[in-house]
Amino acid sequence: MQTLTRLALLTVSALACSCSALLAQEATFAVTAREVGAPSYNPITGTRLNSANSLIFDRLLLQDTDQSFHGALATSWEQTPDGMQWTFKLKPGVTFHDGEPFNAKTIEWWIPKFAGTENAYMVANIDKVEVVDDLTVRFLMKAPDPNLLFNLASSFMGIPAPKAYDELGDKFGVTAAVGTGPYKMQSFTVGQSTVLVRNDAYTWGSDLSVNRGPAKIKTITVREIAEDSTAFLELQTGGVDLLYTVPTDFLPRLKAEKSIKVMMIPGTEIVYMPINVTVEPFTDIKVRAAAAYAVNQKAIWQTLYGGVGAPANSFLISSLQESRIDPKVAIAYDPDRSKKLLDEAGWTVGPDGVRVKNGQKLQVKLWTSNGTEFKRITEAVQAQLKDVGIQADITVFDPSSINAQYKKKTEHQLAVRSYSWTNADIIDWFFSGKRLGYPNVSMLNDPKAEELNDLAMTKARTWDERVANFKAYHEYILSQYAFAPIYEPANIFAYSTRKLKLPEVVRGTRLTSQTILDAEVTK
Amino acid sequence: MFGYFIRRLLLLIPVFLVMSAVVFAIVHLVPGDPIDNMLQIGSSPERRAELTAKFGLDRPLVVQYGVWLDRVFHGDLGDAIILKQPVVSLILANLPHSLALGGLALAFSASVGIAIGALATFFRDSWFDRSVMTIILMGATVPNFWLGLLMILVFAVELGWFPVSGARSADALVLPVLTVGLGGVALIARVTRAAMLETARQDFVFMLHAKGLSKRQIYLGHVLRHALLPVVTILGLKIGWVVGGAVTIEYVFARPGLGSLLISALNQRDYPIIQGCLLMLGIAVMLGTLVGDLAQAAMDPRIRDGMR
Repeated sequence: MQTLTRLALLTVSALACSCSALLAQEATFAVTAREVGAPSYNPITGTRLNSANSLIFDRLLLQDTDQSFHGALATSWEQTPDGMQWTFKLKPGVTFHDGEPFNAKTIEWWIPKFAGTENAYMVANIDKVEVVDDLTVRFLMKAPDPNLLFNLASSFMGIPAPKAYDELGDKFGVTAAVGTGPYKMQSFTVGQSTVLVRNDAYTWGSDLSVNRGPAKIKTITVREIAEDSTAFLELQTGGVDLLYTVPTDFLPRLKAEKSIKVMMIPGTEIVYMPINVTVEPFTDIKVRAAAAYAVNQKAIWQTLYGGVGAPANSFLISSLQESRIDPKVAIAYDPDRSKKLLDEAGWTVGPDGVRVKNGQKLQVKLWTSNGTEFKRITEAVQAQLKDVGIQADITVFDPSSINAQYKKKTEHQLAVRSYSWTNADIIDWFFSGKRLGYPNVSMLNDPKAEELNDLAMTKARTWDERVANFKAYHEYILSQYAFAPIYEPANIFAYSTRKLKLPEVVRGTRLTSQTILDAEVTK
Repeated sequence: MFGYFIRRLLLLIPVFLVMSAVVFAIVHLVPGDPIDNMLQIGSSPERRAELTAKFGLDRPLVVQYGVWLDRVFHGDLGDAIILKQPVVSLILANLPHSLALGGLALAFSASVGIAIGALATFFRDSWFDRSVMTIILMGATVPNFWLGLLMILVFAVELGWFPVSGARSADALVLPVLTVGLGGVALIARVTRAAMLETARQDFVFMLHAKGLSKRQIYLGHVLRHALLPVVTILGLKIGWVVGGAVTIEYVFARPGLGSLLISALNQRDYPIIQGCLLMLGIAVMLGTLVGDLAQAAMDPRIRDGMR
């Protein structure tokens, strides 16, 4: 009898196991507006890549939420004290989807491929790649580059298969994309969908995943849905199992859904208000400071975003070391100081509450891009500026038009915009005197800023030196009130618990392959 | 009839040239350019200049237009700047989806619109006439973007009858077709009703009444047939709509098609795609008008005679 019971139990367990294995391990993910329309999966030449890219291509390194670096295709790395050489040890036994081996020769082929592309700057300081042995590669540098690890961890640093890349030419990433990642690209229709199938040979996941491979989900269809409402309804009805980016507007409704889990990871974006320092009345630093102190970051964070994300008080995301600045230069809401500064600048309150100087009203242009979220923030900023006596008139542009308008250099005064980037060199992009108009919308171009820019961008030998230099540059930009920080959104994604199971903690700066490796279909 | 067709066809040549110039000018005079969307954070101003020159965007606009027009006459719409694929292939890949959506929507609009218009005339001034026409008027004023979302909420989310979006199955076409088609139903029903009422006041209809024909025979057998002339004109104009009339609906329903392609290209200022799509839409409207005119001429000898 006992034997029979044991047999029955064993049969039931075996059946349960086989049922689990037989589950159709298929899932549909969706990317929304920001990622829709990425033209290809070519990490070398691409300037826009969607989230599926990380599932096809591995990089040498990955960056965790705390900005620390972890080996992906590299097992270890070291830098010489003068910063002129970097040596990387590579993982053994790695193969591309087409069966070709990944080794030091791949890296020797890969780095020069960036020449003449938009991403060339990421490896610009590498002079030569030396193959030490089959699994060791050395970069001989033109100049020390403490930012090299960050660049190598970027999504544009996915390593393609040399043979397929050279054979396909411009078609690589469009008709086929071959990497070493946990998924192979089966099909890609630009603007519509990408079908990925599991790479069963994959066993080289990083230490950011519990499962080192192969992935548990067999087939993933990544759909591109431009309209946020449609994407949200697809998730609600089960048409989509995971939504990569959830607009904050939908959070309350998603949280109310029992079968949907909302997850947040630290943000990579800053919403801010650039101030054109070359146009009246903002040539006066007191007026710039007054406008910056009039912005109530906490009110926007609480009322518009329900306390999700964080109020921003500097130009960089809070996980970066360079964002830990002297509190004296941080910009936070201070209406009394704002009003006092305007008084000192000679702008007195007029009968209608708008300040006046020499018979001229303090009336300025406030530009923004189309999109509900931008408009809402801009309207809030408009009201806050009015509270201190600045009348701001809003004009809404589409993203391409607004950049063209900025390039006219003197047409704009204030604007509400955002960027998404996880490195302090974004300050160079938006405040360098070489890029006046756009992207340097603030038009800041003074010798001190340029000197600090040069120090930060080219003179650091080590990571710590770089952090110190960027911190000094960042603090100087803040002290010039060339912008007002507004809001730091969180990265929010959501998935159906009816269908998927994801790890409780998401590692990495974004939802990428390390988390998807641990994901499984449960129903 | 053949002479009429040739004359109408020749008239399309100057129209095409003017349209191509307008399309090109509109695309290039709108602020912004594709290079902004190609630059990566860290790109130098020199790189910008290099890319601008690479795509010939630094040349005078007239020269750029000449080069483009020459290509168009050779059947080549160029390569997309951002998507880096031939525009013709992109259009051909998306066209079947737009034709399916637009064609079915037009068929739906025409059949339902004519039927409602005819019934409203038949039951003129009844509660049916008034209520149907009021509903139709309301339907015509609802933006189809909003109507699309409403359709999704009711038929996909609440009732679960159809998929929310996409183009992976035939039933995914139902809601977009209804959304696009309903706007056309309103117009066609109103035109049909107005034309039938106008025809019903003509002498020959009184004669038919006098001859003892039933109301149904008169309205369906004679009045409707005579009233179809303006409806055919409207349908001819709507053929252009078959190709590109569902721009926002493709976006809402996340469907492939010329509309989705155009919106994506507009956001990125991918000039060759925008020019190619607008040209296609223009040609579709021109050909639609031609088909409408030919159909009218076939139905009404007075039009043919007038062209002689």
